[in-house]
Amino acid sequence: METQLNQAIAQAALNAGARVNVTWRSMNGDLPDPVRVDATDAELRAMITEAVRTGSVPGIAADPRADFTDFVLDRFAPTAVRPYHLIAIRPKTPFGAP
Amino acid sequence: MKRVVIVGVGALGSHVAMFLRNIDAKLFAIDDDRVEQRNVTSQFHGKSGVGKLKVQALQQALDFFFRLRIDVSPNRLRDDNAEQLLGGASLVIDCVDNGATRRVIQSYVRRANIPCLHGALAADGSFGRAIWDEQFIVDDESNPGAATCENGEFLPFIAITAAQLALAANVYLKSGVRNGFQISPTRTIVV
Repeated sequence: METQLNQAIAQAALNAGARVNVTWRSMNGDLPDPVRVDATDAELRAMITEAVRTGSVPGIAADPRADFTDFVLDRFAPTAVRPYHLIAIRPKTPFGAP
Repeated sequence: MKRVVIVGVGALGSHVAMFLRNIDAKLFAIDDDRVEQRNVTSQFHGKSGVGKLKVQALQQALDFFFRLRIDVSPNRLRDDNAEQLLGGASLVIDCVDNGATRRVIQSYVRRANIPCLHGALAADGSFGRAIWDEQFIVDDESNPGAATCENGEFLPFIAITAAQLALAANVYLKSGVRNGFQISPTRTIVV
């Protein structure tokens, strides 16, 4: 029973798509609409770049020169505290103790 | 008693130690670096610590301010001493500044099945992460040797990231729940 419930929750999360979180120049926001969980990295980068350049991401000021070439795409499966797929694009974070 | 190991006590690690001063666990700090004048603006190291080993300066500061005794090791973490330094830890918190040492930590904690929280900052102080090892991928520098968030301008954001790391560690030590965070100056999200 519990397994069936978990499978149903997982399927619902999959059907709902992934939320896309974007960090650009110290600003952060989500794409207004969810995307397919299986969208490719190239598709996501193109979509995100266009959205930031045109000012379509609430919380991020439009930047016609936005470029995510050197950014990292993370994909997070749903968890108990975050019951949806999350895709995040962010700057590299190599430092901790400079 | 639980043992929490902090690897790297510079910008993030020194503040994480300070924020974890009330936990019911013994802190153990590892770092082979010394405090430089430029570190004083962004790290929990005072001017009196300049020239000292970072672990020694931190040990003395925590004792002076809070009467907190921590254990320290002034060694660089390597594959051949990882067992000696990290073995038996209840939690490892990675606050180092290079991909090579992060990989040493990741390799050992995965082999030894030790929970590990990684702290990481973008070079320009625009983004931070407090991520559990199962979700963590090591980022290397795009331009090795590039300047990092060394000047005091980034101190508040460094402290926010360190506080989120300490919060994640605190929650884990109390309840076993592993919450990770991605942090920007305008928003923190749970991952």
